[in-house]
Amino acid sequence: MRLIAYFFLGMGVFFATFGNIGMLRFPDVYTRLQASSKCGITSIISIFIGLIILEGLNSVALRITVITIFFLITSPVSSHIIGRSAYEEGILPWRKEKPKDKQ
Amino acid sequence: MDIHQKWRIIRILLTTGYLIIGWLVFTGNFSPFSLSIGFLFSFIIAVFTYDIFIEKEEVARRALLPRISLLLIYPFFLIFKIYLASFKMVPAVLTEKIDPRIVHFRTRLKSDMARVLLANSITLTPGTLTLDLNNDHLIVHWLNAKTIHSHYAGKLIKGYFEIWLKKIWI
Repeated sequence: MRLIAYFFLGMGVFFATFGNIGMLRFPDVYTRLQASSKCGITSIISIFIGLIILEGLNSVALRITVITIFFLITSPVSSHIIGRSAYEEGILPWRKEKPKDKQ
Repeated sequence: MDIHQKWRIIRILLTTGYLIIGWLVFTGNFSPFSLSIGFLFSFIIAVFTYDIFIEKEEVARRALLPRISLLLIYPFFLIFKIYLASFKMVPAVLTEKIDPRIVHFRTRLKSDMARVLLANSITLTPGTLTLDLNNDHLIVHWLNAKTIHSHYAGKLIKGYFEIWLKKIWI
């Protein structure tokens, strides 16, 4: 049981690392938001699942579940607001160069 | 008592009910004192905020009382989809093979809550990020765009979420 919990905690660290690498490597606002929002929420969910397994089913686990649900609601809203303000400012998304343009 | 006043009372009671559910989950305490305090403050908050929580025009029964059984399964489905999305995100981060585009499409969902949940679910799943939501018009940034045709893009992105949410709300 503990091993499964540690596996989930490790997965949380793994996704957080890749989210941050993505934030540094991607070219513009929108793609960076993609990396941070997705991998951030996955790492948080993994860590919470690991904690629930460590804790067992009791009132603490119920509260952790509620916090997870609130995270599921609020995290996309925050990234949506950043993306929306960037879109209304008129920032164009980064586009892959076509092979014709390169020559 | 005219129909507007009746509707106002129903809205206040519904808001109180939702707040009490939240109170019970957070305290986890069923003693009479805790219950009465919770009920009192839920009612006071509901009197002030019922107009924001349930709008006057939103009168469909399903828009206010979702199907609980499906609503409880939905988060697990969503978490499964989020894991799939993140495992697709890792190679995208490593190889930087991306082709981002902005697509527009419409949704058939009617209630506000369902639309908000659809937008949030889209933000959480494979390489898509909701930028804007006006009535039923969604603007979505797509990391690996397969098409920019609005109908097919909508089908690919919304997928099962719209079907599920349509069953839960309207």
